[in-house]
Amino acid sequence: MAVRASQVETAGARTRLLLLLLPLAAFLFAFLVLPMLGLLRTSFLPGERSFGATGFSFEQYVKFLGDGYYLGVLAETIGFGVAAAFVSLVLGFPVGYSLARLPPSKRRWRLIIVILPLTLSLVVVVFGWLVLLGRNGLVNSVLVGLGVFETPQRLLFNRAAVLVVLVQQFLPFMILSVMSVVTQISPALEQAAANLHANRFTTFRRVILPLAMPGILSGMTLVFILSASAFITPRLIGGSKVQMVGSLVFEQVTAILNWPFGSAMAFVLLVLTLVVTIGTNAALARLFISRGISRAP
Amino acid sequence: MRLDPADRLLAIAGWIARPVVYVGLCIPATIIVAASFTAGEVLRFPPEGFSLRWYQAALSSAPFMGSLWTSVRLACLATIGSLSLGLCAAMALDRYRFRGREVIRNLTLSPLVVPMVVLGIALLQFLASMKLNQTFVGLLAGHVLITVPYVVRTLSASLVLFDRSIEQAAANLRAPPWRVLRLVTLPILFPAIISATVFAFVTSFGNVTLSIFLGTSQATTLPVQIFTYVEQNYDPVLAAVSAVVIIVTLAMILVIEKVVGVEKVA
Repeated sequence: MAVRASQVETAGARTRLLLLLLPLAAFLFAFLVLPMLGLLRTSFLPGERSFGATGFSFEQYVKFLGDGYYLGVLAETIGFGVAAAFVSLVLGFPVGYSLARLPPSKRRWRLIIVILPLTLSLVVVVFGWLVLLGRNGLVNSVLVGLGVFETPQRLLFNRAAVLVVLVQQFLPFMILSVMSVVTQISPALEQAAANLHANRFTTFRRVILPLAMPGILSGMTLVFILSASAFITPRLIGGSKVQMVGSLVFEQVTAILNWPFGSAMAFVLLVLTLVVTIGTNAALARLFISRGISRAP
Repeated sequence: MRLDPADRLLAIAGWIARPVVYVGLCIPATIIVAASFTAGEVLRFPPEGFSLRWYQAALSSAPFMGSLWTSVRLACLATIGSLSLGLCAAMALDRYRFRGREVIRNLTLSPLVVPMVVLGIALLQFLASMKLNQTFVGLLAGHVLITVPYVVRTLSASLVLFDRSIEQAAANLRAPPWRVLRLVTLPILFPAIISATVFAFVTSFGNVTLSIFLGTSQATTLPVQIFTYVEQNYDPVLAAVSAVVIIVTLAMILVIEKVVGVEKVA
């Protein structure tokens, strides 16, 4: 690249920069920064209504973090996030790895299969699972047909079903994340390991896994965040049996209309996801420092 | 190559995991499409017989067709909005070095990592305070907010690889700046612009988590309409409507595949 990005020196350049950047910056300030600040303010209101309320208190946070029920829901939310992240890793790694090593012509249809659930509307995916796992669904037909069960079983409205659906929705992020790092690991490294009499397992553990770690971590973080903030899936697949923070927020705001409490819960959820993101980034940074700058080509 | 037990285990695990994943990923969509052709009254799998009656029912259903139109209109406008805001911003972020550049970049990409439910209630409260809640404009603003990160990310990736000496060559040949933009810059960015457009469109078209908060009583989007239906009961009409959503989404992906290749998106 012959031309480098220009420092903003001349008045003309400054005007052009402002013209290019100001629309989006103003939009983000109005529709992202202001709303988030407003939400933060509401979460510190006392009482159960935000309209016309004044004052500042930690009441809502104390209510959330001091109550066994809400803490249980928070724990369940984290649990779903962690479980979905690990299941996605176990299922997604082999797929992401093989995609990275496939020739492009073979990769095309597989990639379309991976990308479709990412772009398809969430409700459609969830609806598909409702049909699949329902009493008249395919899974029940197969199980009854094989004689595993006498009559169709209730497969929905439990934690396992919620986990399956969460994993199916967010697994593509894991696959793509692993695929993009593995493409950068030279196959020559694996051949070198094989020449040194390492078996596939040792090569995997000592060569591929450490080099793929950035992709694994960022994929897991993404799956965790998306699963922990889910509320459509637990509501439709889990029914009343499964409560997650996202569904509580939705209920508080749309049905109970307790905005201060809903806002506080939303912020707890936001802090949870931020902590995980920052934690992963720190871990990644440490990984790079300990390995030095001489990463694999 | 020798094969010891650990290797064999690894190979077997891969052999099992890959088909399970591919089948699992496409099964919900496949089931819906298959079940939508049922001739029976109940949504079941395997379907009974074959007919297009539920598609007819869907086409003549005012709530579904109305919300499909709302969704298409919203997705088009949101795409235009986020593309124009995002293209300018991606250019500025790529070509200028200034204080606060990283702040703006992170702010732009942040709707990707902030939980949608948090964005939803924050926007709903804000729009209510502006007397814009339950309006199409409010819904549109929300959709621009969640699609703009995809646009900026896709275009930034393409701009990093952009060889600016081509632009200089055009300028040396006395092309005025707007001509350089029209004849050189935009054509080179074309594949990235297409994939940003498609991604913004499908993201807006399929979104339910934000629309459910910002939705209006007059203009419900299709995913929210499906959600309300699913919550009460579900019949084959819903499968036909969902099949339409699946086909639209798949068609959009195939457009990317034709123009840029799916490799670029992933």
